[in-house]
Amino acid sequence: MKNPLTKRIKREFLQEIGKNIAVFIFIAATIGFISGFLVADKSMQVSYDESFEKYNIEDGNFEISDEISEELKAKIEASGVKLYENFYLEKETDKEKTIRIFINRTEINKVCVLKGELPKAEGEIAIDRLFAVKNHYKLGKTIIIGGKEYRITGLVALSDYSALYKDNNELMFDATDFCVGVITREQFEQYREGKIYYSYSWSFDGQNLTDEQKEKLNEEIKNTLVTGNAEVVNFIAEKDNQAIHFTGNDMGSDEAMVKVILYLMVAILAFIFAVTTLSTIEKESAVIGTLRASGYTRGEMLRHYMTLPLIVTVIACIVGNVLGYTFFKNIVADLYYNSYSLGTYKTLWNASAFIQTTIVPAAIMIVVNILVLSTKLRLSPLKFLKHDLKKNKKSKAMKLPKLSFMMRFKLRIILQNMANYFVLFIGILFASVLSLFGLMMMPLLEHNEDIILDNMKGEYQYILKMPVETANQNAQKCIMGSLVVNMKGCRKDEVTVYGIEENSKYFEDIKLSDSTDKVVVSEAILEKLKLKVGDRLKLKSEFTDETYEFEIIGSYFYPQGLAIFMGSQEYRELFSLEEGYFNAYLSEEKLDDIDEKLILTKINRADMIKVTTQLEDSFGGMMPIFAAFAVLMSMLMIYLLSKVVIEKNATSISMVKILGYNDREISRLYVTATGIAAITSAVICIPISYYAMQVLYFAFMQEFAGWVSYYVEPVVFAEVLLITVVSYIVVAAVLFKKIKKVPMSEALKNVD
Amino acid sequence: MFLKVDNLEKSYGTGDNIVKVLKGISFEVEKGQICVLLGASGSGKSTLLNIIGGIDTADAGSITIDNDKLQNMSEKEISLYRRNHLGYIFQAYNLIPNLTVKENIEVGAYLSKSPLDLEELIKVLGLWEHKDKMPNQLSGGQQQRTAIGRAVVKNPDILLCDEPTGALDYNTSKDILALLEEINEKYKCTIIMVTHNDALKLMADKVIKLRDGQIRKEYINEVRTKSKDLDW
Repeated sequence: MKNPLTKRIKREFLQEIGKNIAVFIFIAATIGFISGFLVADKSMQVSYDESFEKYNIEDGNFEISDEISEELKAKIEASGVKLYENFYLEKETDKEKTIRIFINRTEINKVCVLKGELPKAEGEIAIDRLFAVKNHYKLGKTIIIGGKEYRITGLVALSDYSALYKDNNELMFDATDFCVGVITREQFEQYREGKIYYSYSWSFDGQNLTDEQKEKLNEEIKNTLVTGNAEVVNFIAEKDNQAIHFTGNDMGSDEAMVKVILYLMVAILAFIFAVTTLSTIEKESAVIGTLRASGYTRGEMLRHYMTLPLIVTVIACIVGNVLGYTFFKNIVADLYYNSYSLGTYKTLWNASAFIQTTIVPAAIMIVVNILVLSTKLRLSPLKFLKHDLKKNKKSKAMKLPKLSFMMRFKLRIILQNMANYFVLFIGILFASVLSLFGLMMMPLLEHNEDIILDNMKGEYQYILKMPVETANQNAQKCIMGSLVVNMKGCRKDEVTVYGIEENSKYFEDIKLSDSTDKVVVSEAILEKLKLKVGDRLKLKSEFTDETYEFEIIGSYFYPQGLAIFMGSQEYRELFSLEEGYFNAYLSEEKLDDIDEKLILTKINRADMIKVTTQLEDSFGGMMPIFAAFAVLMSMLMIYLLSKVVIEKNATSISMVKILGYNDREISRLYVTATGIAAITSAVICIPISYYAMQVLYFAFMQEFAGWVSYYVEPVVFAEVLLITVVSYIVVAAVLFKKIKKVPMSEALKNVD
Repeated sequence: MFLKVDNLEKSYGTGDNIVKVLKGISFEVEKGQICVLLGASGSGKSTLLNIIGGIDTADAGSITIDNDKLQNMSEKEISLYRRNHLGYIFQAYNLIPNLTVKENIEVGAYLSKSPLDLEELIKVLGLWEHKDKMPNQLSGGQQQRTAIGRAVVKNPDILLCDEPTGALDYNTSKDILALLEEINEKYKCTIIMVTHNDALKLMADKVIKLRDGQIRKEYINEVRTKSKDLDW
């Protein structure tokens, strides 16, 4: 015989349809987003990994100052690699954006056409899709490049530019101001007269090599170029190429965080379900006692009371997965497409994502409910029959301070429902961290941008290929180099090393040592590497095994990132540079008298905030989702837990109605008690979430190249608090109706 | 002997607050008998019933039902024993509010390997027209009939009734008592009924009067009075 208690499940679902639907939608939407995230993430990762073979992505590239000689090419190819020309031009659009133009690629680093087609004639160009989106260029329309008009025939993704890094040494890619595109060979030949960048890609030509063998071959190519007297401008092995690998490294990097959010959320919902079920158990105490006395086992009762939450969770998980594969997958894919220049992808079935978003949440729901409910159901049938569900003997009433009767009444309600309010506190804490994350990032990035711009060392920074003099008297020489610091795992972070001239007007307040092993460091170094003044900092050369150890003698406010400062004389001494050497200018004006060919990099205001701008782009789409999620979660929790409080007190509410209290007064008692608990929780949670977020943010920044200081704009705290207050106000309105519905006859029911 | 209660003791509280509720209770009940436990509030009759039903434990003494000693059973075995042999009826009907009359009775049938015929029982209970109603659509008497059905349907050896008419009016109480009598005769189950209503002693085979946790009087009625002839 089928257990007749199962017939209750559907009816209980319908009786609490509001609650169940709300929880169902919330779980389904969350699972949907996370499943969509995992599916899109994995599918894109697979297509990204496959793109290496599909588009024949290079094993490395180098750029030399002139076309390679046949002899040198033959020498390089003799080592077992195949060289491909990958020449390009760099021009500016009429909107001062840089566009790097290649010839249509047919052999290596092939192009994925996402929309339209590749150019076939003069005056046609296919440009990077992401750049086009960000700058509102449409297929079929024109783009002015170097003063010449081109028709956009295609929106494409170049397989070696999934992240639009203009320079491999830059901290961040830039899809807004930098673009890649392809034109026909004939068109390209017309530019032969102008400046061509002689870039060559190499491939190991299908050889199955180990990393060590690849490294050896790369070294061999480099040595051949150097011994062949080629002037090497750039030499980037595929594994070091950020334009190729940044995207792949970023994919999946948020997976752990997203899963933690999901599991925490499910655990909190499981506790909420458990608390509401406990309330039902208390309400049905006599029935449970009778059933237990009749021979129903604890296990049967536990299974019965767990069935509904479990069914709601499992169905929500399944529906969530369907939504994940259909709707949310596209949203997440769009987030990726909004940051990276990716080719097409095919949605793949992800068994692991299904387990993580269905089996694991269901398991969490089961475990939490078993833990909470079994404690209660362990009581004897007699205790249930007597409605005596407290495990411990009745405690004495807590003495309250001299307050008004109404206030004491509210405090009694809070004290009576401490367990519910504790769950509410945990939920609000979680929602506060999420909403803080959702609301703080944009102001944080804007704040950092402002600080960076306010503290720029000159409007322009010129990094030169060799010392060149300028007639501009206001420009100040300095030396700029870079070293790397080893981070956790195999990751390295670049540290800019400044050699500053004595009495520099740009570094007026800095106190440097005249020793080569004593440096002043930017505050970012102290924060990121968790160091303090007096500690030693170990850096190493990026290309050689040389290491440098410095004593930190002070810190300097330099919000641009990780940097160390020393006198220019000490710099030259440390790196064995000749007297008077310099390689950079800091200037308030453009230095027009320096030959462009001798400038390695020109940094202006926009370049300075490239990192934060890109982060704004990457986070921009996600942040409102987090904030909205936090709002929904706050509302749902406050609603569910306040509902429990009201249901638990239905008899008392009914009784005070009989005594003559009106609905408004009763609401003030019961709903305000929850309000006090919710808002107090929110206030307490603000500093906790600030510090929790700081820990998470620092952990996130450890994985990130460079440093953006932690900052929460004060108004964000108010917004976080406002989320709880607004959630409470919305819920209070709903609960007021619920209180109105409690009949006076309730007080007369179930009186033994 | 079907039910043997031997020197049962039970107290509540600790230290100075200790209250002895049962002070060495011993009696026996034959199979198929109706036994009425009479007493005022606080006499220990409900405690005694709960110990017999295995939902409370004695401090000393023993209970033997059909040669099975409850004291030797683990909690799980007692639960199984209740499932297989006992039916419980309380003053509060404790019906499941979102199950119909029929379904509430099915809740009891589910526990039994050989339940009574459900439809026939519903007819015996006089609930045929109400079988698809929810408990809140029923009168007190109908709700108690449903509760009796839930206890009886699993065909228990002993039916334990704790003030089954305590919340009912005179006429409804008599109907319920008649129903219990009918069940006793039809299904041959032993009934142990706790009540403070002295008039019910006449419908019993055996009467045990309790006061202050002790048996004050114990006797057998040679002839049972039909419940319809009772008056109080």
